[in-house]
Order: sequence, then structure tokens, then C-alpha cells
Amino acid sequence: MNVQFKKGVLELCVLVVLCRRDYYGYELVHTISENIDIAEGTIYPLLRRLTKEGYFTTYLRESEEGPSRKYYQITEKGQTYKEDLLQEWSHFVSSVNNLIQEEEVA
Amino acid sequence: MNKEQFLSQLKRSLSGVPETEKKDILYDYEEHFRSGMENDQKEEEIARSLGKPRVLGKSYRIESLLDESRGGRRTANVLRAVFASLSLGFFNVIITVPVFAGLLAGLISLWAGAVSLAMTGVAVILAIILQPLLPAFITLGGLSIPFLIFVSIGISALGLLSLIGMWKLSQWFFKITAKYVQFNLRIIKKQEAKA
Repeated sequence: MNVQFKKGVLELCVLVVLCRRDYYGYELVHTISENIDIAEGTIYPLLRRLTKEGYFTTYLRESEEGPSRKYYQITEKGQTYKEDLLQEWSHFVSSVNNLIQEEEVA
Repeated sequence: MNKEQFLSQLKRSLSGVPETEKKDILYDYEEHFRSGMENDQKEEEIARSLGKPRVLGKSYRIESLLDESRGGRRTANVLRAVFASLSLGFFNVIITVPVFAGLLAGLISLWAGAVSLAMTGVAVILAIILQPLLPAFITLGGLSIPFLIFVSIGISALGLLSLIGMWKLSQWFFKITAKYVQFNLRIIKKQEAKA
């Protein structure tokens, strides 16, 4: 799949996953890479950018194993942004599906 | 590649990124390695699935430059962004640098013109005031004092106006430069994504 396209979708995936609950980096990366094939390291620059833009906040919490972990939490601004992206995405998918079906009929 | 090699390569490719930010970025990957190892993954395995540290470093550098050129309209920031982006190797050095240097030189000489105009006005006023005190050093060239006062006010006003004009022009120049840098960075970002 086109990498640029994948990156755009990745942003939506991160937002959707973080809407469920707070995740720490490794956990989030794993949840996503289980479903999408991508270099895992690229999720961190994305998280950093979205945090800078005010879509996420971060906090440290101790783990059972010892050292503290950095958790990501979605903000209200992030939720609004997710809704917008999601709408764009559904619109895009249904347009593509429409085209495919037209093709089949013809 | 093990954890140490990965982190040191990443650190090296983050040159130019502010120190505090660099620490933050490296921390994220250290934590990732730590968590992976707690889940019984091998260092090499974790490093492999993270991807190439040089590619990651470059995407942080581009992001940080974009921030810099956006965040500050301050001249120093804009100039730094221009030179830092040269190091990323996408500015056309042969065309962009001479054009930029030429425009900058033009701007500086216009500033010099405006400053000397304003100073001429002030100098004439000073000459009128000091002439009775220092007749040996200053002559008014036989021109009448009311005429000279009129001239000096005129020149000073003109100088002041051109200084204000230059200020606006410079602000505009650096804003355009920042926009141009951002434009280039976006192109590079797209090329990076394809690579």
C-alpha cells in the first residue's frame, strides 16, 4: 500500500485506539502493529507531533515491573479531531465502495 | 543491531534537534526497549521492528525545523532554519543560496541608506545648534538658518519614514523566507515518506 496513505490512516488509528483508554508507548505500538504492517518506530514521531498539537497529554505512572511508563491520554481537542477524521474516512471508504460496485454492475 | 547501537545511531541522526527534545525522544525508545524486553523480546528483534534509526531521526529533524520556522518570527530562528535545512540537503544550493544572499545584501544596503538619510537630518540640526559655539569648525556655507531648519526637518522626516518602511520590508522578507523553508520541508517530508 502507498506509504503516504498509510501514514494518514495511522494517525486515525492512533486516535481511535487512544479513545478507548490511556496507553503507554509500547502497548499502543503493539496494538497497532498487530493490525497494520508498519515500521513500529514511526508511531513515536506521530505521537510526539499530535501531543505538541494538543491532541494528547502525557503523564508518568509506575509499572508493576518497576520503572515508570509514559502514558498518552486523548484531550477533548483530540476527540473532536478524531471525529472529523473518522467522518472523512467513512466518506472516503463509501465512495470507493460505490465505485467498485458500479464497476461490477457495468 | 542491539539496543545500544540503535540508540546511538538515533542520537547521532538527531543532531540539530534541541537538547531537551533529544532527551525526550531517546527516552521514548529506551522505554520501548525496556517494555519489549519485559515481554521477552530480544533487543535485536525490537530494533528490527522499530525500523531504521536514521530514517526516524530525519523525520524528527524535519518536524523540529518546521516548529522552529513556524514558532519564531525572530530573525535568528529563520536564519537558523535556512542553514539547518541546507544540511538536510534539499535546498538547491546553487540557485537558492546566491538568490537569498543577494536579497539579504540588498536589504542590508537599503537599511544603510535609510540610516544615513536619518543621520544626515540630525547632523544638519546639530550643525545649526553648534555653529555659534564652534565657528572655527562648522560653517553653514552661507545658507540661511530658516532654510537649513526647513531642510533638516525634511531630511529627518524622510529618514524616519524610510526606517519605518525598512522595518516593515524586513519583517515581510523574513516571513516569506520562513514560508519558503516550510514549503521545502513539506516537500522533503513527502519524499521521505515515499522512501
